Amino acid sequence: MVERHRGTPDIKSILRYLLLGIMGLAFTAPMIAFLLNAFARQWFFPQLLPQTWTLEAWERLLSGRSEFVQALGNSALIASVVTLVALILGLPAARVMGLYRFRGKRVIEFLLLLPAVVPPLAVSMGLTVNFLRWGLAGTWVGVALVHLVPVLPYVVLILSGTFASYDVSHEAQARSLGAKPLAVFRYITLPMIFPGVVVAGLFAFLISWSQYLLTLLVGGGRVMTLPILLFSSASGSNNTTIAVQALMFTAPTLLLLLFTSRVLSRNALTGLARL
Amino acid sequence: MSSESNPSRWHIAILLAPAVIVLLVLFGGGLIYSLLQSLGWQPLIGQTRLSLDAYTNLLFSPDYAEVFWSGLAFSLWVSGLSTVISAILAVAIALLIYQTARGIRLWTFLFQFNLPVPHLVAAVGMLFLLSQSGLISRGTVALGLTSTPADFPILVRDTAGLGIIIAYVWKETPFIGVIVLGVLRSMSDSYDPAARNLGANGWQRFRYILLPLITPSLLSSSLIVFAFTFGAYEIPALLGVRFPRGLPVTALRLFTDADLNARSEAMALSLLITLMTSLVIVVYLWLRGIAERLT
Amino acid sequence: MKHLRHLVIVTLLLLTMGNAWAQDETAEAPFETPPGFASWDDVLQQAKGTTVNWYMWGGSDAINAFVDDFYGTVLQDEYGITLNRVPVADTVDAINLVLSEAEAGKTEGGSVDMIWINGENFFTLRQADLLYGPWAQTIPNSTLVDWESPAVAFDFGVPVEGYESPWSSAQLHFIYDSSRMSAEDLPHNYDELTAWIAAHPGRFTYIAPGPGGYMGTRFVKQVLYHVSGGDEQWNGEWNPTLYAEWSPKLWDYLNAWKPNLWRSGETYPANENELAQLFANGEVDFAMTQATAGAGPYIAAGLIPETSRAFTFEQYSIGDYNYVAIMKNAPNKAASLVLANLLLRPDRQAGHIRPETGFGLGYAIDINRVSDDDRAMLQKAFADLGDGAADPAALSAAFAPDMAPESQSIIEADWEANVLRK
Repeated sequence: MVERHRGTPDIKSILRYLLLGIMGLAFTAPMIAFLLNAFARQWFFPQLLPQTWTLEAWERLLSGRSEFVQALGNSALIASVVTLVALILGLPAARVMGLYRFRGKRVIEFLLLLPAVVPPLAVSMGLTVNFLRWGLAGTWVGVALVHLVPVLPYVVLILSGTFASYDVSHEAQARSLGAKPLAVFRYITLPMIFPGVVVAGLFAFLISWSQYLLTLLVGGGRVMTLPILLFSSASGSNNTTIAVQALMFTAPTLLLLLFTSRVLSRNALTGLARL
Repeated sequence: MSSESNPSRWHIAILLAPAVIVLLVLFGGGLIYSLLQSLGWQPLIGQTRLSLDAYTNLLFSPDYAEVFWSGLAFSLWVSGLSTVISAILAVAIALLIYQTARGIRLWTFLFQFNLPVPHLVAAVGMLFLLSQSGLISRGTVALGLTSTPADFPILVRDTAGLGIIIAYVWKETPFIGVIVLGVLRSMSDSYDPAARNLGANGWQRFRYILLPLITPSLLSSSLIVFAFTFGAYEIPALLGVRFPRGLPVTALRLFTDADLNARSEAMALSLLITLMTSLVIVVYLWLRGIAERLT
Repeated sequence: MKHLRHLVIVTLLLLTMGNAWAQDETAEAPFETPPGFASWDDVLQQAKGTTVNWYMWGGSDAINAFVDDFYGTVLQDEYGITLNRVPVADTVDAINLVLSEAEAGKTEGGSVDMIWINGENFFTLRQADLLYGPWAQTIPNSTLVDWESPAVAFDFGVPVEGYESPWSSAQLHFIYDSSRMSAEDLPHNYDELTAWIAAHPGRFTYIAPGPGGYMGTRFVKQVLYHVSGGDEQWNGEWNPTLYAEWSPKLWDYLNAWKPNLWRSGETYPANENELAQLFANGEVDFAMTQATAGAGPYIAAGLIPETSRAFTFEQYSIGDYNYVAIMKNAPNKAASLVLANLLLRPDRQAGHIRPETGFGLGYAIDINRVSDDDRAMLQKAFADLGDGAADPAALSAAFAPDMAPESQSIIEADWEANVLRK
């Protein structure tokens, strides 16, 4: 280890911490801007701080009849359902992709990866008309179905990363001791893949939560979610409303990340690196 | 890897089926219907003959060609530059954090702070910060550097797509960076101190140890960023201008045009975008295949 | 009372201007009840307990809150109807949804009940035969509307024929900041504006014509009226020859402004809210509005400084009515009819003109047709508009009608090709 003199700050480390500080500021600046705007009224150039502070935007948005509350409810409902369904559908597929080699695996890999990275444009345009015919358009169920398209691949990807470093022999041992398959899953498999499941669930929730185009086209304006609301507000000009909506839209995902950050740092990076 | 022999093909198929079927129906079905409509199949208007008109219109007709080619150039420019800048910044910051002694948890936290921030919010944030009458401009006024909004450079809603690029860089740098940081941490513990002990200096360590280690993940995440930014809608819609206009924004505009005939062109454009994105994915998979065979 | 006189002048102007649209004016004998219903009571009965899905432009929070409050609560309390206001970024998005549903064969139980609509959007749906009706003259409050006036009975020259009912009236004019400029320095016609732009580079811009930029298209049409020396020749059916003759001069006129426009004319605000924001932050010196209450609604919403005032040029200020229409596949026609009727109720009309609502558009009912008490209420509301409003006399003097519906998409596309992309 190179020895450092304690107490004498050298230029290099000052520069280093300065750069890191700027980095930190750069990545948090928009949130700060939102926080300031959310409580401002009549905040015009070149005032650095709002001349009047107000809570009126919060009161309006959080009141019972506001469409914001409706949007929040829809977003939460859809994201939760999508997460659950994606996990159920994706877990078995991820197990296969992570553990086994088989002919045609490359093709399946391609099929599973494509919906995650391909832009939602063509798919959602194509689905819109058919969903209209099947009565799914304009319903939250239709929107949740369509969200599976970008969500499912990520869930499979992350979980297959988890399974790739998973030792199946434990299952074999448990079975040889007489455990039933369900018990094996519950007491052996699940605990071992749990961190991966949390990460995959987090991603599923995040992706569904922030979908705009898919919800817009399939929901047809009848399914109001937070991104739709925010986008339409952003095209108007009341910065205070926009800021409040942006904060409320981002806060839950930030909280979720904080909550699972321990788990995230250990497994998610491996999963992400495999993308 | 598994210590038991591969289970039967049947077993594999059953486990894969739910996910694969759902994706085939929704994703595949949506794409196929899009394709049909782009080839002119619009039963409501009474057109059932297939033709490539929508595509030739897009590429060559005076109504669409200028918008298409300028949009293509614009989208490539924006995606390319965003990816390159994000990758460079990501590596730089990751290295910076990796080599820092104090406060690693804090810096890592700040670095991945904006990962869960949706792109839409990022775009709105850039508007608040970077517009000529935005927060940073007001800051420069306070510092005496500018006095009117017009003195501040045009950084958002500009014709060069600068605002879009800045927003993408802001959002994607941590995405690539956190991956690179993870690789640095998990893999170089064994190599780096050894290299240092053998007398390698910082640059040599970077060039011969760290860079090769991070290159596969760096490349793959960069490709993902390129593909994503090429086909994404929200940021160019909010931070772009009418002309030149990113391709996804044009596609949606055509789709929501009151003239239903424009639907074919809208689908055609979306499919072209999809095709180009898929090509990038193919390249990525091919590269990864090579990488896997080499290790 | 001065204001009353001006109100009468406006009404007379709308009436006389209508001669331009005089075609086959045999007013259709109104049906007694809306199609599919036995009586108005039947409508009220069927409406109770239902929801009305009203698709309207959602870009102003003030208007959104106003609609929810001003109409939503009344609908709930007095009629048992739930208002589901669905915001859209542009009315054409709602049109598109209706067209898509038709394409998918959805002839009943659609997503959309009612749309806030006029002009070419109305024309599109009429052509596609996707509107329910005729009903507009069967609702009780339709007697308060002057359906004899061609300004009401024709929308962009397209006969309404009972397929939409008016909500309010609007007229495009300008806003300036009295703390930055004095009234003497204001331009009063487009040539003076041209001189002003040259003298103040970078301080003027207009809204880009196009989706969401309805007011931009209207502004460009006003310039076209000026360049072609009059608006009367544009009345009636769309005249491609006239357009071919004058549009090159129009593009030259607008292109001549470009070097001295904000951002050198390379980009333009996409809608009036963006323009208002530029104006409020001091990037440009003029904003635009269509509200009879002028700058009032923006001021009340805290979007522009309180010293803002509205004013108009001497000529070519396009005005019209805007309407609500009911879809053929609407799931809640009864509730929609009740809402359309409510919009015309005198107390609601007197309310929506007030600047505090953020709405501030003009009346759609004829004050000569209401009861004496209501007339006093309407007059008072009009008189109380405050400093933010432009002089009503000037507005009525500058009034001009809009063009035929084909003009909308043609001008939008041509502006983009000949001005924006040049």
